[in-house]
Amino acid sequence: MTEAASSCTIGIDVGGTFTDFVMHDAEHARTHTAKLLTTPEDPSRAIIDGIRRLLEASGMRIDQIARIVHGTTLITNTVLERTGAKVGLITTEGFRDVLEMGREIRHDAADLYARPAPVLVPRHVRIGVPERITADANELIPLNEPAVLKAAQELVDGHGAQALAIAFLHSYANPSHERRARELVRSLYPELPISLSADVAPEIGEYERTNTACVNAYVQPVVGAYLDRLEKDLAALGFTGTLSLMLSSGGLTTLAQAKAVPVALLESGPAAGAVAAAHLAEQAGEDRVIAFDMGGTTAKMSLIEGGLPHVTHEFEAGRVDRFKPGSGLPLKTAVIDMIEIGAGGGSIAAADEFALLKVGPRSAGSVPGPVAYGRGGARPTVTDADLLTGHLDPDHFLGGELTLTLPQVREAFEELAARLGIDAGRAAAGTLQIVTENMAAATRMHLSEKGRDPRAYTLMAFGGAGPVHAYALARSLKVPRVMVPMGAGVLSAFGFLVADPAVEDVRGYATTLPAADWARVRELYQDMESHAAALLRRMGPDTAQIRHARSADMRYLGQGFEITVALPDGPLSDSCVEELRRRFTADYVAVFGRELPEGTLEVTNWRLTSSLPTPRPSLVRSASAQHGGDANPNPTPNPVRGRRAIQLPGVGVCEATVYDRPALEPGSSVRGPAVFEEHETSCAIGPDATATIDAHHNLIIDIDYAYAHSASEGAET
Amino acid sequence: MSEATTDAVNRDAVNLDPVDLEIRWSRLAAITDEAAATLLRAAFSTIIRESNDYTVVLMNSAGHTVAESRAGIPAFAALIGTLTERLLKTIPAESWHEGDIVITNDPWIATGHLPDIAMVSPIFHRGTLIGFAGSAAHVPDIGGTPTLDATELLAEGLFIPPIHLYRDGVRDEAVVALLRANVRLPVQVWGDLEAQMAAHEVCRRRTIELLEDIGEPDLEELSHLVHAMSDRATRAAIAAIPNGVYRSSLDADGVEGQPTHIECTVTVDGERIAVDYSGSSPQVAHATNCTLNYTTAYSVYPLKLLLDRGTRSNHGSYRAITVSAPEGSILNPVFPAPVLARHLTGHLLCCAIYQALADVLPERVIADSGGAPALRVQFAGRDELGAPFAAILFASAGMGACADADGLSTTAFPTNSGSGSIEALEATAPLLFRRKELRPDSGGPGTRRGGLGQDVEVCNLGTRPIRVALLGDRSQHPALGIAGGLPGALAHARYEDGTTPPLKSVSALARGSAITISFAGGGGYGPPADRDRAAVAADLLAGLITTTDAYDAHDGTGTA
Repeated sequence: MTEAASSCTIGIDVGGTFTDFVMHDAEHARTHTAKLLTTPEDPSRAIIDGIRRLLEASGMRIDQIARIVHGTTLITNTVLERTGAKVGLITTEGFRDVLEMGREIRHDAADLYARPAPVLVPRHVRIGVPERITADANELIPLNEPAVLKAAQELVDGHGAQALAIAFLHSYANPSHERRARELVRSLYPELPISLSADVAPEIGEYERTNTACVNAYVQPVVGAYLDRLEKDLAALGFTGTLSLMLSSGGLTTLAQAKAVPVALLESGPAAGAVAAAHLAEQAGEDRVIAFDMGGTTAKMSLIEGGLPHVTHEFEAGRVDRFKPGSGLPLKTAVIDMIEIGAGGGSIAAADEFALLKVGPRSAGSVPGPVAYGRGGARPTVTDADLLTGHLDPDHFLGGELTLTLPQVREAFEELAARLGIDAGRAAAGTLQIVTENMAAATRMHLSEKGRDPRAYTLMAFGGAGPVHAYALARSLKVPRVMVPMGAGVLSAFGFLVADPAVEDVRGYATTLPAADWARVRELYQDMESHAAALLRRMGPDTAQIRHARSADMRYLGQGFEITVALPDGPLSDSCVEELRRRFTADYVAVFGRELPEGTLEVTNWRLTSSLPTPRPSLVRSASAQHGGDANPNPTPNPVRGRRAIQLPGVGVCEATVYDRPALEPGSSVRGPAVFEEHETSCAIGPDATATIDAHHNLIIDIDYAYAHSASEGAET
Repeated sequence: MSEATTDAVNRDAVNLDPVDLEIRWSRLAAITDEAAATLLRAAFSTIIRESNDYTVVLMNSAGHTVAESRAGIPAFAALIGTLTERLLKTIPAESWHEGDIVITNDPWIATGHLPDIAMVSPIFHRGTLIGFAGSAAHVPDIGGTPTLDATELLAEGLFIPPIHLYRDGVRDEAVVALLRANVRLPVQVWGDLEAQMAAHEVCRRRTIELLEDIGEPDLEELSHLVHAMSDRATRAAIAAIPNGVYRSSLDADGVEGQPTHIECTVTVDGERIAVDYSGSSPQVAHATNCTLNYTTAYSVYPLKLLLDRGTRSNHGSYRAITVSAPEGSILNPVFPAPVLARHLTGHLLCCAIYQALADVLPERVIADSGGAPALRVQFAGRDELGAPFAAILFASAGMGACADADGLSTTAFPTNSGSGSIEALEATAPLLFRRKELRPDSGGPGTRRGGLGQDVEVCNLGTRPIRVALLGDRSQHPALGIAGGLPGALAHARYEDGTTPPLKSVSALARGSAITISFAGGGGYGPPADRDRAAVAADLLAGLITTTDAYDAHDGTGTA
C-alpha cells in the first residue's frame, strides 16, 4: 500500500456531553485518543482545543493531518430541543396543512391524552401557491410566479423566516416547479437557505417529503453557521487537508453537501459506532453480527451482514416520547437501521403499580447519575446493580471515591426491595435480569421483522455498558458467540477512521414490474450516478474506484411495506424482470416465510448507494496502543488479578477469576466463570462459556448451550 | 363470560417473585406485539394497514386472553377470548389437534360484521393443548352487496360459521375454493388470511419458547396470576370513582327517517362498572345495527382509557366491567339484522359514556369527537384504460377537547385509522385533490377548543363518471361539548353545482367536476369565555378560527 507522506486522520465525535477524539497515524501505526467536555455554545472551541491536545501528545504538526472526519449530535439535538431556525414553507395551494395533519394517527391508542410532536413550521408561515403537477409528472396548473414572490416576501420580510422549504405535490416525479420557485426566491434573497423537497427526499409521500424539507430548512442555518465557523477555525490552526462529515447512513460527505442537506446527518453520531462494528466484524471474519452499543441512557442494536450495516430509509426525529414510535417527525432519509431501547447504565429500577420491578426507560443520565457516582443520585440504577452483583469492581470503579457510596447503593436497593417484598440482593440481580430481558425483547422483535434468527448471529458488544451485559443478553437470545473488541468503551469514535465517502440517492418512480419503462429507469440511474460521481470526485481523486450499488424498493402490488432488493449488474431492461422477481421472492420468503405466486410485483423507489473505498487503518494495534503506547513495556504481566463472587443473570452466583484483559495475549483461552476487566468496561462469563483472545485482540466468547441446559437447572431459584 | 371467582390470587402462593413475574408477563406481551407486527407487514388490505383494523391475542386453554396486541383495535382483543370460549363448547378441548385453524365471521360471536374474519388456532406443548392464538382482521372484500340498503345480513356477503380452514395442518381445499369463489379480490383476501396465519405461527412458536425457558408445562399458573393482577388493578381504579348511577342520552342522524337514539346508564358500584343501553333505538332494517359484541368492545375501550394509561391488558382487565343492551335494540340486534356499517352506531358509545361520566370524572373525560362515528368516502369506477379502480379516502374529523388540552385536529377517535398519502391515491385513481386542509372554525369553542375537521376537495380528472359512496353521520348532530364547551361543526358534502349528497349515499361525480367533503369538528370543553386570550389570538393568527365571536359574545354563564 502506498500512502502519502501525510496519512494522519483525526475523527471527532461531538456528543451532548463529551467530544471524543481519535487520531490515527498510519505511518507509525499509532493512535491517540482524547475526551473533552462539549462546548455547546460554540462546539468548534472544544474541537480546536482537542486537536491542539492531540498534536501536542503526538508531536505532530497540523500540516501533517490529511483528513479530519467529523460527526455530531448537534443536528439531532436542534430538532429535539426545538432550537432551529424560523422556517417558512411554500407549498401547493390547498395543502398548507399537510405538515400539521401528518398521518392523522394517535401514536398510542391506549393513552387518551397522547399528543403528537408539535410542527416545526406553524400554520401562519405556511403559504400555498397556485401550481400543480399530476401523478404522471405532467403540469396541470403552471407555477404562479408572482404568488411565489409574494409568499417569499411575506415569509421573510413579514415573519422573519431565516430559511425556506419548498414542497409541491408530485415534485418527486417532476421537480421543475420547485426548482423554478427556488430561482425566483433567490432573485429576491440570494443568501437565504432554501430546501427543496425534491432534493432532500425525492420519494412519493407528500407528508414525509415535506417534513424532510422542513427539518432540513430548520437545521440548515444552525449547521451552516457552525460548519463555517469550524472551517475558519481549522484554517486558522493551519489545517489544509480535507474535512468530511459522517452521514446518518455511515458514509462520509463533503462540507458543502453537509451544508446543503444537513438532514442527512441527523444520526451521524450513532452511525459511527455501527461503522466501526462493521469494520471489526469484517476483520474478524464474522459475517452476521448484532452490534450492541450500550451506554448510560440507551442501548442500540443494529444488524451487520457481510461487513455492512443494514440501512433503512425512514427515520423519526424529535420524538415527544423517545421510545415511542410515531411520537416524532417521520423523515425520508437514509440512516443505519438501529433500534434504541431505554436501557443503559443509568436506567432507573423502580416498582410499578403492581409492585413489579421495572427498569428504565427513565435514566439518571450522567447527572446526577447512578447512586454509585455519589453525585446526588438516590434511585438505584443498572450500574448500581452491576456493582452489587460483582460485575463491576468497587475498587477499580471511580478510583477510591466509591467506598463512600457503596453503602448508599445497598441502601437504595434495600429501599426498593422493601417495596417489592424481596431482599436487596434479589432486587439488584433482578434489575439486571429485567434490563437484559427488555433488550432481548426489542432485539428479537427487530430481527423477527427482518426474518432473522438470533441464533445465527454473533453479538458484538461495545459502549461502556455493552460488554458488562453482553453475556446475559446473549444467553437470553440464545446467541452462540459474543465478541468484545478491545477498547470497546470508546469504539464509536473509531468509526470515523474507517468510513468511506458515500452518496445515498433515490428516485420515486412507481410501476409494476411488467410495465416498467426501463429507458426511464436507466435515465434515472444515469442522473443519480453522474450526480454521485461529481460529489465523490471532491472527496478523492481516484474516481475509477467508485462503486455503485443499485437497489429497488419492491412489494406485491397492494401491500404497504417494501423490501429493498439489490438490482442485477449491467444495463437494466426487460431481461432483468425474471431475475428481479427471483431476488424479490427469495428476500420475501426470508422475511415472511411464504410467497404469493399470483402476486404482481411493484417497484416504488429506485435507489443508488455510491461509495469511494479508501485504505483503512488496522484498529488492532491502534486499540492496544492507546494503553501502553505502541509496544507493551511489560511483555509478560500476570493477567490474573484475583477472584470474586459474581451473580450472573440466569446462572446464579459463581466464584469467578478476574483477568486484566489487556494483559491477555492472543491465543489465550479461559473457561468461565471469569471476569475480564479493562479501562472503560468489564465483561463477565459463566461456567458454560469459554473466552479466547483472537489475533485482533478481540475477546471471543463461545457459549455452550448444552452445558447451560444441564448445569443451570435449578440454579436460578 | 366466566365470572366465577374474583378473589385475587396472591402471587406469593405460587412462588413467583416480582422479578420473575415481570419478566414472564413482559415476554407474554412481547409475543402478541411481535405477532401483530407480522400481521401488519404481511397484510394486503389497506383497511388493515391504514385503519389498523385488526387484533392478535394469546389465550390460555380456557380461551381467556393472557396477552393482547397493543397495536390494532384494542377494543377487539377481548372479543376473540369470548369467541374462543364459545368455540370450546362446540369443539371441546380434546378435539383440537396440532395444525388446526378455525375461522368465522359470524357478527354475533366475532367482531361485528362480515368483512372481519376471526381466526383461532390451538397451541400444543409436549403433546398437550396449552392455549390458543387468536386474531381478527378486516379483509378487503367478502362478497355480497356492501351497501347500506341490505335489509338482512346475508345480502352483505359471505357468512362463515366457525369452520376448519386447516385440520391437522392440512388445508381444506373445499373451504378455500368456496371462499375464493365468493369474494371479489381472492388474491388479496387469501393474502390477508395468510398474514393472520403468519401471526398465529409467531404466537405459537414464541409461547413454546417461553414455556421451555421458564420450565413450565402450560400457561395456567401464569395466566391465573396476570388475570388476578389486572382484575385487581381495574377494580382499584373503579373503586376510586364515587358510586352512583350516571346517565346520558344522545342522538345521531341514523338512517332516513330513523335517527339513532342512545340511552346510556353507567352504574358505578364499588369495584364494578355496569353499562346499560336500555331505552336506545330498536334495531333497524339498515346496516347500522351493532351486535352486542361490538357494543361491548366500544364500551369497554373508552372506559379502559379512563381507568389506566395502557397497562398490559388481558381477560382479567374486563371482569369488573359488564355491558348490556336489550335484545332487539340497535345495540343488540337479532339475526339476521344487517350490520355492515355497525361502526356508525358503535362509535357513538364513547361519546355517551364520557357525557355520562362528565360530572363525576370532569378531569378525565373528553368532549364528543367529530369522528365518532368515522366518515368514510370511497371512489370507484374505471380508469382511462377501462380497468376498474376503487380508492378509499382515509381522512379524519376533529377530536373532542379535554380539561387541560385542546382536541386534536384531524385525528380519529375511537378508531385509530390514519390517513394515506394523497400522492399515492392519485397515482392509483383518476382523481385530483384540489384541497385537503384544516377546516377553520370547525372546532367546538370552549376553554379548550375542539379539534378541527378538514375540507377535502376532489375532482374527477378522467373521462368517465366516478361513483362516490359516502358513509358517515353528524350531518344533523354535531359533536357536543362538555362542561360548557360548544359543539363542533357538522359534517357535509357538496358538489360544485351546489347539490349536497346525504352522508349516507352513493352518487356520481361527473367528469371534470368536483366534490368537497367537510369533516366534522370535535366538541369544546368548558365555557369559551374562559379561554386564555393568548390562545384565542394564536388561533386567529393561524387561521384556525376566522372570528373571535364565540369567545367574545359570552361571559361564561350563558354558554352551557
